[in-house]
Amino acid sequence: MSLTDTAPQARRRDLRIPLAAVLIVVALAAPLIGTRYVTHSLIIALIFMLPAHGLNLLVGYTGLLSLAQAAFFGIGAYTAGLLAVHLNTPFYVNLIAAGLVSGAIALPLGIPALRLRSTSFVMCTLGFVIIGQAISKNWISLTRGDMGLSGIPKPYFELGPLSFAISGTTSFYYLALAVCVIGTLIAWALVRSPAGRNMVAIRENETLAESLGVPTWRYKLIVFMLSAAFAGVGGCLYAHYLTVVSPLTFQMYYSTTMLIIVLGGGAGMISGTVLGSLLFVGLTEALRVAPELRMIAYGFCLLVLVFWFKKGLAPLINRFWNAIGGSK
Amino acid sequence: MTSHLPILDIQNLSKFYGAVRAVNDVSMHVNRGEIAGLIGPNGSGKSTFFDCTTGLAQPSAGKVVLDGQDITGWSLNRIAREGRMLRSFQNTVTFKALDVEENLIIAGQMFTFPSLASTFGLGRLSRSRINGLRERARELIKMAGLWDVRHQQAGNLSGGQQKLIQFASMLMPEPKIILLDEPMAGINPKIIERVVETIQYANKSLGVSFLVIEHNIDVVTSICQRVVVLDQGSKLVEGLPQDIIQDQRVREAYLGG
Repeated sequence: MSLTDTAPQARRRDLRIPLAAVLIVVALAAPLIGTRYVTHSLIIALIFMLPAHGLNLLVGYTGLLSLAQAAFFGIGAYTAGLLAVHLNTPFYVNLIAAGLVSGAIALPLGIPALRLRSTSFVMCTLGFVIIGQAISKNWISLTRGDMGLSGIPKPYFELGPLSFAISGTTSFYYLALAVCVIGTLIAWALVRSPAGRNMVAIRENETLAESLGVPTWRYKLIVFMLSAAFAGVGGCLYAHYLTVVSPLTFQMYYSTTMLIIVLGGGAGMISGTVLGSLLFVGLTEALRVAPELRMIAYGFCLLVLVFWFKKGLAPLINRFWNAIGGSK
Repeated sequence: MTSHLPILDIQNLSKFYGAVRAVNDVSMHVNRGEIAGLIGPNGSGKSTFFDCTTGLAQPSAGKVVLDGQDITGWSLNRIAREGRMLRSFQNTVTFKALDVEENLIIAGQMFTFPSLASTFGLGRLSRSRINGLRERARELIKMAGLWDVRHQQAGNLSGGQQKLIQFASMLMPEPKIILLDEPMAGINPKIIERVVETIQYANKSLGVSFLVIEHNIDVVTSICQRVVVLDQGSKLVEGLPQDIIQDQRVREAYLGG
């Protein structure tokens, strides 16, 4: 894309690669530099990152506002928890199963829900969270009801003769980081693909997209299932990290947190979601040092965001990224 | 010309909304390579007729045959994708947040990728398909006179320019026939000339047939080879444009006689 290149100007150095290198080093060294509490906060942020990526595909790219993320997060958490407790399956099996089960359950839920328009769809997805909680409370033979599933083993791997468990907080951080890096790359690939362009077309004008041959209904259903699968994988990390899953996993608060991550970070941008989860989840965890002011401070941050960064932080990231990219 | 059958044959199409007969037993056809016109006073059922033909709405009765294939009951996207019958909308619509080039690439995607699953690919094949689309998009952008604004967001351009984007988008898939719903509404005379030229170019050089709803009678008489007049949901008359404007019944319909 050198079409815009003009006469040579004073060239600045492209700082993007060094910055990326620094970020990678920081991500890898964080648990070694920071306290255990910092590591814990980062793990929570990573757990929320994948469901937020899923939601971003739905809200940011396809233009469908959903509050169902907590439902699929919960389904993933229970799937992983039940497998680990009853069958003692290795971590990667639980991870894949959580994604598949959540994605599969999204199919029968999405078929009727996606027929609804705008606000009705939002209300319907809200219903999924409430129903999920009711089922997890009342299907006692499976979920043990309000007692929840406890004693979920730490994640372990079985690679041929080799078998090892992830026991400490630091090692769990690396596990979550690896899962999130892969998840982020998948999300990035999805939005970069021609299908990603069709998602944006649906967001921008569904009827026009339809008139140009885009099967919008099928795309919406697929993206709904994908977003659920992302949430389910996040739920698996959650179950293994907390070692307990209860009906409280299905709570609206989680759905709204994921929505704040996406909208605050900048809908329709992968890096926005990455930054959003670190900032908003990390922030709530970090603010725990001042418990009496915590929610007030959090609310204040949201107000600042709504008034000054209507499009989230993404435009800011973009500008910064281009600014350090050296002169054109 | 592989066949003498009309490219589009609409037989006894009706659309009822409760007791209201929006379109009542209308039959018409468009020949291969023809630019046909559809006129009629406001509320005569032209747009409903278009919607039922293109799958945006489903007809209550009747049959739509496209290039020998019965497409009655197909969805809008399937008619576009498999039938290569494209349509425009009365209100100009573009993907406003995207630039001109992206608008055109989206328009071509579903015709270049053989299946929905293949659109999720990022491999070399996928990239070469997109590159092919980008080249075609650039040719059409040049033809539509939008080269200088190709990297601008569609929403920032004038209504006329957006009309041209919409028109160029419909040419991306190499359509058999295009249905235009009031292409000249709300644009200035200079752009009208350009839209007329573009329609004639697409018709002559690319072999696209057209069915055009238009109120601008000068445009209708200059581009259409045959005109159908609708009034109160029914077909009033059909004929050559110069005969139609002389027709007493048509004049009465327009004057609310």
